[in-house]
Amino acid sequence: MDRKTNNPANRNYHIRLFAVMALYALALIATSQGFDLFHLTGALAYLLALLPALPVVATIAVIGLYLAEQKDEFLRGLLIESMLWGVGATLALTTVWGSLQKFAHIRGLDLFLVYPICCVFVYLARFIVKLRYR
Amino acid sequence: MKCLTNNPAARRFYRRFLGTFVLYALILPLTTLVFVHYHPTGPLAYPLAVLPAIPMLGLLAIFGLYLAEEKDEFQRTVGVQSMLCGIGGTLTVTSVWGFLEDYVHIRHLDPIFTITIFWVFLGLSIPVLLARYK
Repeated sequence: MDRKTNNPANRNYHIRLFAVMALYALALIATSQGFDLFHLTGALAYLLALLPALPVVATIAVIGLYLAEQKDEFLRGLLIESMLWGVGATLALTTVWGSLQKFAHIRGLDLFLVYPICCVFVYLARFIVKLRYR
Repeated sequence: MKCLTNNPAARRFYRRFLGTFVLYALILPLTTLVFVHYHPTGPLAYPLAVLPAIPMLGLLAIFGLYLAEEKDEFQRTVGVQSMLCGIGGTLTVTSVWGFLEDYVHIRHLDPIFTITIFWVFLGLSIPVLLARYK
């Protein structure tokens, strides 16, 4: 997603992403504080634990909305191609890590890291795909 | 992808998929047996542990090949969209599970399952996408 454009889909994407990230920061603080101060258990603990996951999941919806709203075929294609490479790289990493964890007993991978790992790969892929189109 | 299709790209996809899956079905028990009986450690254990991951990643490459070879724009679009749905579902599950694991200490989900989760979401999304275009 190019930031230096007046493309409405890009603008909407950045506004939504910023709002969702702000929510994420608030939810993470609230959850950490909730667990530190009240030692929650049962259904309430599950609900509070899910709280920071909701904005993370919402970012996926934000990306989906961007793809639906983006009128520029090239920019849409660029993101889709980057996402597909990012997905491939993420699944390659988790599968190899999973195999090593299962058989060679290496340290476990925290699952909430899968999403940031995917974002890093998508970003790197986008950079490479963009270079190819130059 | 329609089943029982005469589409050459889809036929090649099914053939490659089956071949790779058979390879996986052979490698996995073989690796398990070696680890159970010989308890390999050190530099030998790592490549051996990665061995079952290779056909699993091959399945992803095969899907990528299908997308590259598919001449039917509609089928390719459905393929790409199903991959995006697959990664959206996978990242949702891993993020939610990761936070639950971190805060309410639910059972650790082996990262090797992320690719299975991906294929399940991808498979489920195909009939939904096809129904949307009907």
